[in-house]
Amino acid sequence: MKDGLWLDDASFRYGDLWVLRETELHVPPGRTLIVTGDNGVGKSTLLYVCAGLLPVTAGHVWLDGHLPAAKKPSELMRQGVRRGFLFGQGGLLSNLSALANVTLALRYHADVFGIDDKEVDARAREALAQLRVAQTDFHALPAHLSVGVRKRVALARALALDPNFVFLDDPDAGLDSATRHLVYERLERFRDDSHITVIIATNSRPLIDRLGVHPMELAHGHLLPEDETRRSRRA
Amino acid sequence: MRSTLPYDPRSDVFREAGWVGRVGRRAINGLSQTWALWGTLKDAILSDLAPGVAARRLVHSIMLTQVMFTGVQALSLVSVIGLLIGASIIIQTNMMVPADGELIGRVLVAVVLRELAPLITAIVVAGRSGTAIATELGNMKVNAEVLALSSLGVDPLRYVVLPRMVGCVVSVVALMIYFSIVSLSAAFALGVLSSGASLSSFQQGVSGSVMPHDLALFFCKGVGLGTIVGWLSCHFGLEVKSSPTEVPQQASRAVVMSLLGCVVYNTALTAGFYWLVGPPLPAP
Repeated sequence: MKDGLWLDDASFRYGDLWVLRETELHVPPGRTLIVTGDNGVGKSTLLYVCAGLLPVTAGHVWLDGHLPAAKKPSELMRQGVRRGFLFGQGGLLSNLSALANVTLALRYHADVFGIDDKEVDARAREALAQLRVAQTDFHALPAHLSVGVRKRVALARALALDPNFVFLDDPDAGLDSATRHLVYERLERFRDDSHITVIIATNSRPLIDRLGVHPMELAHGHLLPEDETRRSRRA
Repeated sequence: MRSTLPYDPRSDVFREAGWVGRVGRRAINGLSQTWALWGTLKDAILSDLAPGVAARRLVHSIMLTQVMFTGVQALSLVSVIGLLIGASIIIQTNMMVPADGELIGRVLVAVVLRELAPLITAIVVAGRSGTAIATELGNMKVNAEVLALSSLGVDPLRYVVLPRMVGCVVSVVALMIYFSIVSLSAAFALGVLSSGASLSSFQQGVSGSVMPHDLALFFCKGVGLGTIVGWLSCHFGLEVKSSPTEVPQQASRAVVMSLLGCVVYNTALTAGFYWLVGPPLPAP
């Protein structure tokens, strides 16, 4: 059984631009992978590929032994792969309120989670409260929320699913100091959870230092420990 | 499987190599677009059979909302168009066969019930809701909402496409019936007032020329045209990749292709149907 995230000889390219070349990677449950890299190198794309939202050009991506790109999203959920994804930009459904965004997946999979409408609502409210989203914002559309609140709602949506994979794209970008610390606290809990595989794409040094995880750098389609990339650049 | 991705690397595996390569690539692109078009329809319909009681309940509630947006909110527009179409037909027929209520009734059945009601209703739904659907789905693609749905384990075709397609089918059929009633009523009223023909002669003309197989044709047209509008609007909306500038382009493409599809389907069905069952109007 391939627990956690496995990249098996995985490659991905946009036209002539290689984002990932024949990469082997294993991130077991309970481990956190931080990916850094220059702007435009493909960090967000790497997250999409790892989450199975984009199919690889060659090779395979496994999430807990399942090939996500070959299955319908709901099939994956039914087989126990619960993905929480925080998008760098967008990602919240613009025609649903903050609360409805959080309840959506719970309602859609209420039979999988074994919960009724009341429990769905309670679970969503609890997740929003944990991220300190004000009750007055519960029924607001994402367009009427500030960047910080939107990010917290998106994180609450991921949290409410009780995920075993968390993918975070620039989780602290555009946040004020208080919100950033709140997000860091939440990410530390994800990091310390032995059942969750966490993948973060960021260049934020405070976040990397706070999580205390040695990052890997994505450059020219290769994922290498940051020090090694720097050495090869100097060479 | 129909792709709902912002970028599909499988579409970029062929490199151009001279004119042979370009022709080949165009042919392959054409085939893959046709395949994707078919995939949208097939996968959306089959998605309703996927497991998930809660998902089905949620999707069915969205279908009702969609019928409200597409059908109920279009009633006033369809009323006005039905009224005016009925009036203009009666003006024309009055000039050709004044005071012949029975013949005018027959013409109304042939023109309104068999042809205009399905086609005009589909055109109204395509213009009003088709653009809205394509724009909404295009914006969802740009804002990564479709990817977000996948990440949450929600099937985009089941949650986004199926309710809109069903909404269009139900709305087109219901609006066709409503359009026919409004249009025929307007024509009767204006005909009686302007030509002096009796209401009973109109009724005789209508009831004498409506055949049982007209009902089958009427519903085949409604279901088919509704499917075409919902399907093509959703498909072209999802064809937006990642730039907001693609949204109006695809919305316009969705409406143009829907209108073309509706006219072709309507004509083909009329021709095929009467070729099979024989002429609709018995000799007077």
